[in-house]
Amino acid sequence: MPTTPILSIGFPALLASSVHDIKNSLSALRMLLAQLEAICPEPKASEFKQLNFEANRMNNSLMQLLTLYKIDVAQFSPTIDEHKAGDILEDVVAQQSTLLALGNIQLLTQCDDELLCYCDSILIGNALCTLVNNAQRYCLSKVLLSAEQEGDYVVFCIEDDGIGFPENLLSPDDQQIDQIDLSTGNTGLGLFFTNIIAQLHAQGDKRGFITTDNHSQFGGARFKLYLP
Amino acid sequence: MTINLATQKILVVEDQAIMRETLKHILGTFGARLIVEAESGVNAIAAMRLEPFNIVLCDYNLLRGKNGQQVLEEARHLKLLPLNAIFIMVTGEKSPEMVLSVIENKPDDYLIKPFNQQQLLIRIDRCHTRKKYLASIDNDIDSGNLYQAIQHCERLLQTNDKKMHLPLLKIRAELALKVGDFKAAEAIYQSILHDRELPWARLGLGIVAFFLGFYQQAIESFQELIKQYPAMLEVYDWLVKAHESLGDDENALSSLNLAVTLSPMSILRQKKLAMLADKTENLPIAKKAYAATIKLGKNSIHGSASDYSGLANVYLKSNAPNEALKIVLELNQQFHDDPEARLRAALLETNIYQAKGNKALAQQAYGKTFSLNEQFNKQLSRELRLEMAKTFYLNGNSETCDEILNDLVKTNVDDKLFIKEITAVCDAVISQDHADTLIQQIKKELVDINNKGVSLFKEGNIKGALDIFELATAKMPDNHTIILNLVKIMIHDLKKSTPDANKILKTQSYINKAIEIGIPHNQISDLQTELNTVQVNPTINRPV
Repeated sequence: MPTTPILSIGFPALLASSVHDIKNSLSALRMLLAQLEAICPEPKASEFKQLNFEANRMNNSLMQLLTLYKIDVAQFSPTIDEHKAGDILEDVVAQQSTLLALGNIQLLTQCDDELLCYCDSILIGNALCTLVNNAQRYCLSKVLLSAEQEGDYVVFCIEDDGIGFPENLLSPDDQQIDQIDLSTGNTGLGLFFTNIIAQLHAQGDKRGFITTDNHSQFGGARFKLYLP
Repeated sequence: MTINLATQKILVVEDQAIMRETLKHILGTFGARLIVEAESGVNAIAAMRLEPFNIVLCDYNLLRGKNGQQVLEEARHLKLLPLNAIFIMVTGEKSPEMVLSVIENKPDDYLIKPFNQQQLLIRIDRCHTRKKYLASIDNDIDSGNLYQAIQHCERLLQTNDKKMHLPLLKIRAELALKVGDFKAAEAIYQSILHDRELPWARLGLGIVAFFLGFYQQAIESFQELIKQYPAMLEVYDWLVKAHESLGDDENALSSLNLAVTLSPMSILRQKKLAMLADKTENLPIAKKAYAATIKLGKNSIHGSASDYSGLANVYLKSNAPNEALKIVLELNQQFHDDPEARLRAALLETNIYQAKGNKALAQQAYGKTFSLNEQFNKQLSRELRLEMAKTFYLNGNSETCDEILNDLVKTNVDDKLFIKEITAVCDAVISQDHADTLIQQIKKELVDINNKGVSLFKEGNIKGALDIFELATAKMPDNHTIILNLVKIMIHDLKKSTPDANKILKTQSYINKAIEIGIPHNQISDLQTELNTVQVNPTINRPV
């Protein structure tokens, strides 16, 4: 067996550079898709919805991989500032709008216009997008995205009317999640990512965290992101 | 949507045809009618020269030539962007601030690819709302009346808009820093940090410490910030400044080197790194950084002839005169119309041929240097003029050398750092007390001019006093005492005579100049308040 590794720059760096490359291709692919859709006569083929959904999912996964890579090699720190919670929700809805327009799922938002939070808005926005994207897939007809103040935390909450999280993705006894089972595919990775991002947000001795349960007001899954 | 796109002139800068089409299509569906496209940075600048735009959407990664940031820098530099224009940088990067990490000239917002029409419109709309809200402050800053900007900021703060409170405080603190009111800035940053740990407020406190001269304290807080936020590049820039102020060039260099590794695309950082490495004799770093600066400079308004002469000098120092000569050749090709560049080239040739032992060619190049200097000396940068003085002395022309030194000391007598440089050159090349004698002599001349002006003023000869000070400040634009006395007399004159809008404007421009050359806040703020009380009667003397 040779002792020198073949990949002299190391696998993580190689992966990160490939991810960049794939992201660029995906960007072009999505643009082409949008153009194709624009010239396609009504009623549009239902495959567009699935294509958009998958493209969204790929983009979210790649973005998460890149961020996790940067956190891992300590090249990354969040850019924390004050933001309107409503703006973050508006960004998530905008990002999902292409997909929403193609289906009959309702994405509702609920938030006090004056509610402010302290976070890296791009990171939090991306994390919420992934989870909302997944919620759209598993819900029956609607997803509610909300934000409110709970004590020292601003809480972003995603609730749907689907069948709920599987057992292995639920927080133990409604406590915050520490370990996430990555074998569950995209949802698992999304939660894993969001959990890490949440922990990067701190104020005094408090840190951000996430919880999952099936107590949605619509009877499905409920996800909560707490930011101090 | 609060913005009506139908009335907005929009410029789309994007090298990919398919993306340009998509953007145009999206903007069109939302009512935009006046859309211009550019597929390169050069064409974007050309379009902006033809007509002003309200909104510019610019891709960062333009395939050839200038990138988006270079387009923005050039547009701002040439004042092609109206004050209320929105410039949005489109990037493929997730955290653009970090990757692009510009020192100045930030776009109004970033838009990350891929995005859909909703996301684009929300960005434009939010920028528009914000710009409209802050228009009064931006106008004041643009016209240079920082004290009035502070007043407008205070007024907006009093409206108690919870959502705008923190952004306004941030602007208020930055304005306080700009006018040198460090105590006010400190109080704001501290009150913010009392409620919430925010990196920019923490940075602000470090900057205050820096300006108050507590360099060690500033360095500690910058280092602590970097430990927590390694990607916050602005902090490195301040850390470098603080090390430099303590005379610790080695540490300044290593901090800057870290920042450049994180942001290799920033030309100003590369340039600064090259000069620092050059100064501290770290020739390999200097070589690399100068080469990078030259490469970035080809598409940037920050590219200059001094980058080439810097690199050539480093080659000369590393005993590679032939390499140096190649760079001089490139310099001549790139900047053939620029007198400063031609002078730098001639100066370099003199030194290079001397190093190579070719006396005839060295003499010929020196002759060229001499005649170019005759024509252009006053227009050159002060660093180059100092270098010229040295060359003249070394070539036996002490008369021209003294002429230049005299003028340099006169115009920069209040700039301690540059005076230190002049002294260092004189000490090394001429003699120990040459610079000191010169500085003493010029300081005495200054006192005489000042006294003459003041006594004319006391005799009631306002016109005579104004003439003396105006002439003096034209000759010595960076002198604190003269400009302060000039402003005082101008305000006195304004109060005594019929108000005159042109005179008020002129006085304001001297106050702006005074802030710019670093006269402390407590010496300016009262003058600005006094000037603000001088009202122009709208029926007479209205400027046409």
